[in-house]
Amino acid sequence: MNPIQPELASQLITLLAAGMLVIQLLMVVQAMLLTNIRLFAIQSLLLAGIAAVMAYNHNASHVYMIAVLTIIGKVIFLPWLLNRLVQRIQIHQEIEPLLNAPTSMLICGGLTLLGYVVARPFTSLDRLGNNTLAIALTLLLTGFFLMINRRKALTQVLALLTVENGVMLAAVALTSYGMPMVVELGIFFDVLVAVMVLGILVYRIRENFDSMDTSKLNQLKG
Amino acid sequence: MKVLAILLQTLLLLALAPLVSGCIKNWKAKLQNRRGPRPWQVYFDIAKFLRKDMVISEHASWIFSFAPYVVFLTALLAGLMVPMINTPAPLSLFGGVLAVVGLLALGRFFLALAGLDPASAFGGMGSSREMTISAIAEPAMMLAIFTVAITAGSTDLSQIAQSTQSATWKLLNPAHVLAFAALFIVLLAETGRIPVDNPATHLELTMVHEAMLLEYSGRYLAFMEWGAAIKQLVLMTLLLNVFFPVGLAGPGDGAAALGISLLAYLGKLLALSSAVVVVETTNAKLRLFRVPDLLSAAFVLATLALLSSFLFQ
Repeated sequence: MNPIQPELASQLITLLAAGMLVIQLLMVVQAMLLTNIRLFAIQSLLLAGIAAVMAYNHNASHVYMIAVLTIIGKVIFLPWLLNRLVQRIQIHQEIEPLLNAPTSMLICGGLTLLGYVVARPFTSLDRLGNNTLAIALTLLLTGFFLMINRRKALTQVLALLTVENGVMLAAVALTSYGMPMVVELGIFFDVLVAVMVLGILVYRIRENFDSMDTSKLNQLKG
Repeated sequence: MKVLAILLQTLLLLALAPLVSGCIKNWKAKLQNRRGPRPWQVYFDIAKFLRKDMVISEHASWIFSFAPYVVFLTALLAGLMVPMINTPAPLSLFGGVLAVVGLLALGRFFLALAGLDPASAFGGMGSSREMTISAIAEPAMMLAIFTVAITAGSTDLSQIAQSTQSATWKLLNPAHVLAFAALFIVLLAETGRIPVDNPATHLELTMVHEAMLLEYSGRYLAFMEWGAAIKQLVLMTLLLNVFFPVGLAGPGDGAAALGISLLAYLGKLLALSSAVVVVETTNAKLRLFRVPDLLSAAFVLATLALLSSFLFQ
């Protein structure tokens, strides 16, 4: 009962994962906050696609649940929440990273290579989408880099979400039947609650310091 | 047979290029709730320009009147070397894809000279910007194409297209996705599309391509515009037939296969044009000093593509 050939499914998963990587790299250079949120939504949609292909190929119904939850949570709800937050606190639209775009792009290129090299011993494993570990690692590393490189709390939240996407990608693509349902649900609601709490926190930081610049938090009084 | 193929592809390039430009204009207008010009308006424009008299600055030298032909012919010649509806392409020079990139660069060189030649302030500004942008866009384009060339084992475009059709080829290779993304950004930059340049405005301080054409009128303007449309079509064809050679007719195929191939080509062209329209509508034009950021992204994507094609042999 394998409706599509594993070969095709594997290629499809690799393609979608590569798409996620491209979007991650575009997020590094994209300067507008709202576009960044939209890119994150597209990246999550690709993740949901990977989960759906995985579920279809392994006939695992609970992986479908992950796909659906990803679409509801990360493609629709979280971008909506972040959009509303951006409008409510009326921040300056442009992200002001510490390093300029070409430099950070080069660093992310280096991180991608690091991801590829580290994951290389595992690529020979005979499993669906065997290149995805490299991409998941890269999403993780570049996500951390984004978090360090950006000053504003809201953009750091966004970076955290891309790190989470990387973790989810590894979880979905490498364990052939997905993790147990409970774990998946746990991670999922964790992120949801984390973003909501962080949203409130961002709002408070902004209220108290008149800025979202987290580097100002080491001052006693804003 | 060879002559027939050259003739056919020349006609196809000449006829299709204005239509693609017109369609993109029309759809963009539709998407922005405007009525917009009809898709075939560009033909009328070119026909009108061809009939009109020319006003040429008295300070202009021979370069000014020479450049339109160079721009037009290099685009056409480059187009003949890219397989459009069948492989092999009607023409193949030494170096294959390198010759295509070189021809397009020659056209751009003369375009920039022509912008400088009449010594108008805007023209020089446009030339300087064009050269700045192409200095980053061209290496990115070369690297992206090299990625595919390495996997195919040849820089000849017909051979690349043929090997992409064979069974052992991994179409959905991550290296190719990265290269495709890089080449798409380069396509936007080279054809003066919105994040880089705005094709819909004249007399805007940020214009690039239009600034160089500002002194042109009449027949020369017609050749310049037509040449730009052909260059756009050539780059789009390059992107389509190297990465998605679906339905491309082979060397010995008959008329029926060619017909199917033409339909498939038009379908792919439609999809790519729609993608360009969506990007143009949803994005704002970048500030000029931000353009290198975008292009450096394309460059890094292309470099990663090339390196990862080595890592995953």
